[in-house]
Amino acid sequence: MVLPPRSSERTAMREYDIDETADITDVVCPVTFVKARVALDEMEDGRVLSIRMNDGEPVQNVPRSIKEDGHKILKLIDNGDGTYSLIVRKVGE
Amino acid sequence: MAFSNEQLERYSRHMILDEVGVKGQKKIMKGRALIIGAGGLGAPAALYLAASGVGVIGIADADAVDLSNLQRQVIHTTPDVGKPKVESARETMQAINPDVEVRTHKFFVTADNISSLIADYDFVIDGTDNFPAKFLINDACVISKKPFSHAGIIRFQGQLMTWVPGEGPCYRCLFNNPPPPDAVPTCRQAGVIGAMAGVIGCLQAMEAIKFFTGAGKLLTGSLLTYNALSMDFRKIKLARRPGCAVCGENPSITKPFDYAAPVCEGITI
Amino acid sequence: MNLIVAGARKEYEDGLSVAELIVIENVETPMYVSVSVNDEFIKSGEFETTIMKENDNVEFLYFMGGGE
Repeated sequence: MVLPPRSSERTAMREYDIDETADITDVVCPVTFVKARVALDEMEDGRVLSIRMNDGEPVQNVPRSIKEDGHKILKLIDNGDGTYSLIVRKVGE
Repeated sequence: MAFSNEQLERYSRHMILDEVGVKGQKKIMKGRALIIGAGGLGAPAALYLAASGVGVIGIADADAVDLSNLQRQVIHTTPDVGKPKVESARETMQAINPDVEVRTHKFFVTADNISSLIADYDFVIDGTDNFPAKFLINDACVISKKPFSHAGIIRFQGQLMTWVPGEGPCYRCLFNNPPPPDAVPTCRQAGVIGAMAGVIGCLQAMEAIKFFTGAGKLLTGSLLTYNALSMDFRKIKLARRPGCAVCGENPSITKPFDYAAPVCEGITI
Repeated sequence: MNLIVAGARKEYEDGLSVAELIVIENVETPMYVSVSVNDEFIKSGEFETTIMKENDNVEFLYFMGGGE
């Protein structure tokens, strides 16, 4: 069953054309970042990824690591349920 | 190639590294390495390559596990004594990482079988214990343009060098010909400290991983020597020998051939 | 004259040949050692006739046959 996007996610999708989504709430550090890296690696340059992550350590570290990889962080959205959605535009090597 | 969560977790420490990343891990998982000799050098090399997720790992050896092997051949355990080394090695590698495909080649390499054996692999690790085998592997790899890692150990000393086509000297550039049988002591006669096999075999695995991922610079054009007693690592820069019989300008060796085995040992790997 | 032998700089007599250096340095298995001077190999037949010069960098390479 696919749940309809939450209102905050709907807002995000209106602002940015999201091409892919990744959910890293089912893994812990450092696999959180690795899973996000894999999702970005499989996308083409310029495409937009929404990454759902847990509050706490993931939201503190994953956005910074993705930025260090050279990708563009577009927005971090508080989903209000203990998770965040990080909207990232892939910047190729 | 999609990664399962389990694979992401297993390989996360690789994939976090900028020099490896997602692409590098995929390259490792597509890599095909052949380890000739499931002994002192081959054991740690096989363990680390299996743990790293190298896609296909071949292991060639005709010997059975002997109690005297266990002081250094850490891939075999006491209950393995008497078992073919390639079988014992395969079991340990698959226990560490069921992802990898292990191909066992239960024979010694000879001029007749080596070319077809190495053809199936991208990188060869020489873990043999005698000069005829080391020269045979060198010649076959040079002739087939197959990258390989040479290594040798004795007492508290070890050495290694990587060869890839067109880069640096080959093993024959360094030493021309094997010494006469029994002119130079082997491990069996002179002994070797067990951890030496671990140090040098791990460095060979490191070279294979660097070859697959493209990270850093390979140990070509230099012989790395390690003396554990003085704790000196030395990297000796060496040029190709233009007159080398196999990689030189006018090679006289154009196909692999066997040297006579040392009298006291039989040809063992 | 100064030579760098196996990484160490030391003072030697002038006009020393590779063969003489092998003896002075007490090289193990001298019949089967490979020698490079300034990164180039010296043919074993030329050890007697190859004379060291100031600041030459000499390396001895030894057979290591073990691995099992």
